[in-house]
Amino acid sequence: MEKAREDFLSEAQELVDSLSRDLLVLDQQTRRGDSDPELVNDLFRAIHTLKGLAGLFGAARMAAVSHELEELLDDLRLGRVELGVKVVDLLFRGVELYGLLLLAEKGEAPEPTRVVEEFLFRLGELTHQGGTGGASQVAQYEIDSSILGVLTEYEEHRLRTNMKAGVSLYRIHVALALTTIDTALDDIKAAARPLGEIITYLPSGSGSDADRIELDILMASHADLDGLRAAFRGLDVAVEAVKKRGGGDSSAVARSAQTPDPPQSPARSSPAPVPAAVPDDGLDEAVVTPWPADVALAPVERAATASLGVAGETTGSGLTLPPAFPPVGADGAQGQRDNRDLSLRSVSQTVRVDIRKLDNLMNVVGELAMVRAAMGRMTERVRAEPQLRAWGSELHRLQRTFERHLTQMQNGILEVRMVPLGQVFEKLARVVRQISREHDKVVNLVITGAETEIDKLIVEELSDPLMHMIRNAIDHGIELREERTLVGKPAAGTVALNAFQKGNHVLIEVEDDGSGMSPERLIDTAVKRGLLKRSEAEELTTREVYNLIFLPGFTTRETATDLSGRGFGMDVVKTNIAKLGGVVDISSAVGIGTKITITLPITLAIISVLGVEVHGRSFAVPLASVEEAITFDESLVRNFDGREALTQRGATLPICRLSRLFGLEDQASPPGESRARRHAKPCVVIASVGNRRLGFVVDRLVGQQDVVIKALGKSLKSVRGFAGATELGDQRVGLVLDVAALMEEFLASDKERISEGARAR
Amino acid sequence: MSTLVRKRHDRAAARRAADIGKRVEYVTFALAGEAYAVPISRVAEILKPLPITPVPRSPRVVIGVMTVRGRLVTVLDLRRRLRLPESPLDHKSRILITDTGEERIGLLVDEVMQVHRLGESEIEARDVLGGDPEPYLAGIGRPDGAVLILLDLRPILES
Repeated sequence: MEKAREDFLSEAQELVDSLSRDLLVLDQQTRRGDSDPELVNDLFRAIHTLKGLAGLFGAARMAAVSHELEELLDDLRLGRVELGVKVVDLLFRGVELYGLLLLAEKGEAPEPTRVVEEFLFRLGELTHQGGTGGASQVAQYEIDSSILGVLTEYEEHRLRTNMKAGVSLYRIHVALALTTIDTALDDIKAAARPLGEIITYLPSGSGSDADRIELDILMASHADLDGLRAAFRGLDVAVEAVKKRGGGDSSAVARSAQTPDPPQSPARSSPAPVPAAVPDDGLDEAVVTPWPADVALAPVERAATASLGVAGETTGSGLTLPPAFPPVGADGAQGQRDNRDLSLRSVSQTVRVDIRKLDNLMNVVGELAMVRAAMGRMTERVRAEPQLRAWGSELHRLQRTFERHLTQMQNGILEVRMVPLGQVFEKLARVVRQISREHDKVVNLVITGAETEIDKLIVEELSDPLMHMIRNAIDHGIELREERTLVGKPAAGTVALNAFQKGNHVLIEVEDDGSGMSPERLIDTAVKRGLLKRSEAEELTTREVYNLIFLPGFTTRETATDLSGRGFGMDVVKTNIAKLGGVVDISSAVGIGTKITITLPITLAIISVLGVEVHGRSFAVPLASVEEAITFDESLVRNFDGREALTQRGATLPICRLSRLFGLEDQASPPGESRARRHAKPCVVIASVGNRRLGFVVDRLVGQQDVVIKALGKSLKSVRGFAGATELGDQRVGLVLDVAALMEEFLASDKERISEGARAR
Repeated sequence: MSTLVRKRHDRAAARRAADIGKRVEYVTFALAGEAYAVPISRVAEILKPLPITPVPRSPRVVIGVMTVRGRLVTVLDLRRRLRLPESPLDHKSRILITDTGEERIGLLVDEVMQVHRLGESEIEARDVLGGDPEPYLAGIGRPDGAVLILLDLRPILES
């Protein structure tokens, strides 16, 4: 039961994500002034599925919101509501609301009752406005009223939209063998797609041939008659233009004359069009013309082929598909089934997995690696015995194979953990849109490298820092439109989000073409906020000046805006990135723009560490933050103001004795330790995070290895300075240092010391 | 005569069974000479002590961390937690592993003894000694003349 609920939540989340993606596309289209009816249909379907899910799991608010959104999208589909910025805004709002509702379902947030009511109210306002007509254009074409009469509301809307856009109408007549109708129709659709839109498929002809069916396809296209004929060459179809009224005799009329008069059966009253909802007058006549009985196959065909049919099939609102038509031909039913198979197949190719399961697998791999090491030692022993040599080599071979497969397995699991950065970039695209609108700035977001893959856990943690950076870029970086035009920049600002892989790291750049950061202004601000002394400022390098923006409380704003200005955003960025073992770098040029680069390890699951020993205890330092290790010479230690430091390459290197920091000095050493200490070769492991450096004094270096890192349990949450623990072989656990946290703690105990190195230099 | 005895015996047994009520299995262990017990359902496994890595700066009750089949376990010294005098590990020492749902925690005890099935009537309320009992005290178990201090693990693991 719980499992089912989890599935519901993750499936709903996925749907919301895809909604968000589609909306972004729709937004762009709306601004360009065109719209893809397929996209609106996609949105409609996604919301409909959400509604079903929500209903199934008793998420009443979500179901209510979905229901109303569904109505709105339906109105959009049918052209009752005009697609515009306002509507798109409301849809975006809906996606946000889904986010809140899902959080509430997970119990991580209160039910957003008020927000939901407000949203429903606004939706209601919009959907009950009613629509705009447009029948006059339809009327100017010679479309037989019997055809108009059988168009569904949706098809009619598409017809009208196309006519409004001045697109020509064509009738394509085909005769298809029932046995091959699916593939033949697919061919026709494929040929038609690049040229325009198929509005409807109408059965025609006498129906005397039991093996063949004749269809009239009504198509809207920009192409001329010759172009269409060329496109359909080889498909055995007859293309003719639908003439404008007054253009002489229309074949449509002639054709309709062939169809027998509709019998007056009571079932007639139910079929498709629901024109009552459309305030059109020109169609009244059409409405009363019933659909001929002998062509009942058509709607089934439509269900199988036109996207509209798929939507209608699942809505349950009885909107598009006349319920009176049972599937007639076996082929029609087959078409439907194929469609369904297709969608099922595409779904089943991916599996959702709880990341903890992958962690478990990774643990098992770690255990196996341990077994392998033990087996390796055994093998060596066996090989050393002369009389067992043959067995020894055999064992050795087996071991090598085992090792190879183990590595493959480890890589395989790591690969599964990888997700494209596009996941987080999509969310950011929404943020950009929202912020730039709020700020009345036009900002283009250019994304490259969205396919770059990184550990799932890292991706989760990235959205906040990246959002802050993007906010900053738009709020502080990109200038107002007038300013930009004044200095000859394009009115629309650009924020680029680039990602790429570089060795074992992934680099993400957030780059804007805004005003850049002026070092003088940054220093002035820092001094004004009491974060820096004027005298210290002169000694800072440009890089250090830029890094001032990471100080908590640093802001160039006098008052905080909605977006930024409280002065903690960049601090959050730095802390979060450091937690992931990443580094942030800034470069900027006044008037040209700012680029912030984040360097991240590709995965958190396996990290390279440098094993060290302190007072007989094993620790591991993530190699990502180790610059180098040098031998420690006690006599070179200088004391500055109660802090110890070494001079290394002409610069001051503050040092931290881990044994003292961890309070190990006054503790009894583990057995065997005294001997080990005598053999100790004290070293300084020089670590750097961002632009800070610190030397950790250790008793001995053990060596480098790749380890699986495990988080410390909740009962050790309060213990700072460790990123986790790892098995170092022979069942001993080594603690992995959280270098960033230790540095923070050791160096930044008083705020005046911005940079130990810079001050002493 | 014998039937009468048997009848009386049966009646007594029936009454006793009814009195005892629902039975719960407890695993009992020794700490500083006293017998303690926790519901066996809370104990995932019982291990001989493995190498434990101390964690600097951790609360005093934490002995350290160890791995069990690839999973990290935080080990607490139950003596320290219950403010009993400390004693070194010996061959009888055991670690009870319990899963809080969020993490695995090991509890170091002096010795694991046996499993008792306790009925409701064999458990005295936690305030039987009067006063304001420690939150981790769940009651006193009295199976067949023995005295067991029943522990509630949740408050023990929370602090």
